[in-house]
Amino acid sequence: MSEKDLNRMSSDCGEDAAPYVLGALTDEEHEAFLVHLESCAVCRDEVAALSGVASVLPAAVPQLSAPEDIKRRVMSTVRSEAGLRGAGQSAPEPRRRAASPRWGWRAALVPAGALAAAVIAIILIGSGGSGSSGSRVIQAQVTAPRASVSVKLDGGHAELNVAKMPQSPPNHVYEVWVKRNGAPQPTDALFTVSSAGNATVGVPGNVSGVKQILVTAEPTGGSKVPTSTPVIVANVS
Amino acid sequence: MQLLYRGNAAAFEVIYDRHADAAFSLAYRMCGQRALAEDVVQEAFLSLWRSGARYDHNRGSVRTWTLGIVHNRAIDALRKRSVRERGIVDSEGIEERIPARERTEVEFARKDEAREIRDALEKLPEEQSRVIQLAYFGGLTHVQIASMLDMPVGTIKGRMRLGLAKMRMTLGDPAEVLQ
Repeated sequence: MSEKDLNRMSSDCGEDAAPYVLGALTDEEHEAFLVHLESCAVCRDEVAALSGVASVLPAAVPQLSAPEDIKRRVMSTVRSEAGLRGAGQSAPEPRRRAASPRWGWRAALVPAGALAAAVIAIILIGSGGSGSSGSRVIQAQVTAPRASVSVKLDGGHAELNVAKMPQSPPNHVYEVWVKRNGAPQPTDALFTVSSAGNATVGVPGNVSGVKQILVTAEPTGGSKVPTSTPVIVANVS
Repeated sequence: MQLLYRGNAAAFEVIYDRHADAAFSLAYRMCGQRALAEDVVQEAFLSLWRSGARYDHNRGSVRTWTLGIVHNRAIDALRKRSVRERGIVDSEGIEERIPARERTEVEFARKDEAREIRDALEKLPEEQSRVIQLAYFGGLTHVQIASMLDMPVGTIKGRMRLGLAKMRMTLGDPAEVLQ
């Protein structure tokens, strides 16, 4: 036990439990308190006693309805990533299953009027993009003023983090493409951005050998070939 | 949750539908801005999706786990901004009200429970209620609250502790309230 722990035991042990359960410790204090908890039964008991109260505080706020846009964005990413895990497609909703296996569910993801202008993001990923030696982040070039796009590569998986991107035009969605050799290939990743222009999107499949990841704005439901010119380009080699 | 572990999007959608309103309500109460609240909820649910395997049912309900993630994300978002920039929002100051849908008996039951919890919070002495709300909903650290109220840090911690302990006595076992 450290001197700090001894001091804590003798003077203020248990004192940090309340700010801890309320999320009111600084990051440094939070980390230190977690370490302290491992060896202090007094603080563990205090946390156990108070955390139940803290966990019900959200019920005290006025209850609102979550905007539908959030679900559309979240589920777009989730379905893309579920494909990566080899699951999620096993139990699609009937109306989605009824459509074509490759493109069908996508039409159900984005209601008419949700998408906008054709935006194409091209992120060039070097041949070493498989990321087997750890994660790395690549900045993309974006033609839209003030917008930024970074790509996190980790273990063959790529994730786009989009910020301050303009809303796509009516009846369009953003679509992610991958390019190895030859023409860009479509993916199941369709997305819209938040009102602040932000989105996080997983790129379906393993990106090993992928040289470019493209994002375009396409008509609702997606396209099989890009219909507009790239507006974001990242050269990473 | 077992399906979520295996990356089942349909299972995740059920969880989203059950808890999205509560998540957005909490995020909006904390952030005070619709756009920021939307970003917080989106990031929180994607985090939940990607970390489903870390859920431990022994440590609380899925709802508690979900709202805990939302709370942490909102704190992160708030602490990236200055106190002056974000302001401190209370429930009376929410302008963009979006009434929640009233759908099921479960939601009516939740309303009763919510009233119980609000009452317990409001019955606290003002100084205890205030520090709890500034911390939990305002995302402020105890040091920032002490500075804001010009009081010793120890006093702030003590008020938090006393307030939570009194709420616990009022509510009984709150861990069971919102299961």
